[in-house]
Amino acid sequence: MSTFPQVEPDEASAAFYEAAARGELLMQRGPSGTVLPPEARTDPETGSPELEPVVVSGEGTLVSWVVVHQAPLPALADAVPYVSAVVELAEGPWLMVRLLGDPTTLHAGDPVRARYVTSGTDEEPGAVLPVFQQVPGTAPR
Amino acid sequence: MTGAAIAGLGLTEMGKVYGRSSTSLAAEAVRLAVADAGLALTDLDGLLVSSGVKQDVNVNLGAVLGLHDLAVLNQVNAYGATAGVMVAQAAQAIAAGVATTVACVFADSPLKPKQKAGAAWGSGAKRPGAARNLHGMAGWSVNSGATNPNILYALCARRHMERYGTTSEQLADIAVAQRAWAVHNPHAQMREPLTVAEHQASRWIADPLHLLDCCLVSNGAVAVVVTAADRAATLAQPPVHLWGYGQAHAPRRMHAGSDWGLVTPAAKSGPAAMRMAGIGVADVDVAELYDCYTYTVLVTLEDYGFCGKGEGGDFVSDGMLAPGGKLACNTGGGQLSSYYMWGFTPLSEAVIQARGQGGGRQAPRTDVVLVSGNGGILEHHSTLVLSPHERNRS
Repeated sequence: MSTFPQVEPDEASAAFYEAAARGELLMQRGPSGTVLPPEARTDPETGSPELEPVVVSGEGTLVSWVVVHQAPLPALADAVPYVSAVVELAEGPWLMVRLLGDPTTLHAGDPVRARYVTSGTDEEPGAVLPVFQQVPGTAPR
Repeated sequence: MTGAAIAGLGLTEMGKVYGRSSTSLAAEAVRLAVADAGLALTDLDGLLVSSGVKQDVNVNLGAVLGLHDLAVLNQVNAYGATAGVMVAQAAQAIAAGVATTVACVFADSPLKPKQKAGAAWGSGAKRPGAARNLHGMAGWSVNSGATNPNILYALCARRHMERYGTTSEQLADIAVAQRAWAVHNPHAQMREPLTVAEHQASRWIADPLHLLDCCLVSNGAVAVVVTAADRAATLAQPPVHLWGYGQAHAPRRMHAGSDWGLVTPAAKSGPAAMRMAGIGVADVDVAELYDCYTYTVLVTLEDYGFCGKGEGGDFVSDGMLAPGGKLACNTGGGQLSSYYMWGFTPLSEAVIQARGQGGGRQAPRTDVVLVSGNGGILEHHSTLVLSPHERNRS
């Protein structure tokens, strides 16, 4: 078991995970220019399903966070307690992410930044995942 | 043509009721509701069906009940907002002359013997090993760790706390007030009085939510019978008149500027229902509010206008919602303390209160009873305005 359960990319997600392995965060962009999370299917500004991949900065701010004590899935049993968060990317989209670091110093609005971790175990590594961390030097305040 | 009224209510045994399917429980609740109204099953010409965590009751319930000639037979699902949507649909069918007597039923049986209540939320994908290899984008979502309602509602509550200074102790005030009502509810699963300190000492599920911020899980079923108000007046129970209804949906927007978690579609559904009823929030005597979590009650009170946005924490303090408080709220104990039948928890208690059948928990005034339903992660909402009185027609 791992604190980051092993992930196997499929065809639809290959580009996202390959970008993460290069240290890049891959989102999507609609015809309106709106940047959308990887799971989005529609540009809400235009209604268009024509979304193109776009690499974003990986910089953002903290919207909300939770310290999870009761694992919601057996796959996460070794991970608790862990922090789940909503982050707002500088480009606009909100992501549900794992947040690394000490939760006791967090505040809404804190700067956060993408980091990249390998899922699975040393023996059985999986895809590289984007996670987030409070930007050092911004806490405590 | 008069408005619609709830003429019958049926509740099965609630909680750890084992060895019965959801369908069997649903059938019993419909039979009980019909008998409660002084009707026969064969008087039904409409049946609206909903199911809960297990999603295992459907339109086959008609055949199970031997109802072979129905004008209306649908499965309805707006998650926790379903009960209010069903009653509104029943009223619309009756007003349109499509049906005369419509039963609305909810049933669920997620609890199993020797299994923790939380495990009832599990599915096949959640078995150990089943999630060993997570595929595609779902693998990233699972690794976010925000995969169940406890965590997602906790994200909403934290947002409110950060923005407005709301505290866990204020959420505790809601749980404590509801338990004080539940003490007097023979249907309630949790009837021991509760203190704020006990709430604070209960284990973290997803900080900022403690165990006692979270609803129960229950097996059971509830049904109501809706018919025209003038007909309801001739039946066995005091009619509970439907003065107004509303629904609104705001599938969450995950983008800069989103108010997800802070403002819910209750802010549209509530005023719409109250407008239809010709009342304002100051007229509400009893509020039966969907309470999957304590925070849901707080944010619904704000969105309905009982207090300003961000003032919910102060509003619920000092026993405001408890017996003897200024607003009789969740007078049966709600889903936190009585039973978890989705929107049929607040609806059933509203009917009991409007009839004056609350016994030791009867609210002092029940001229206007407000009922809310909430589904998704604060994304779907329904509202009913009920009264023991026929609405004055101007």
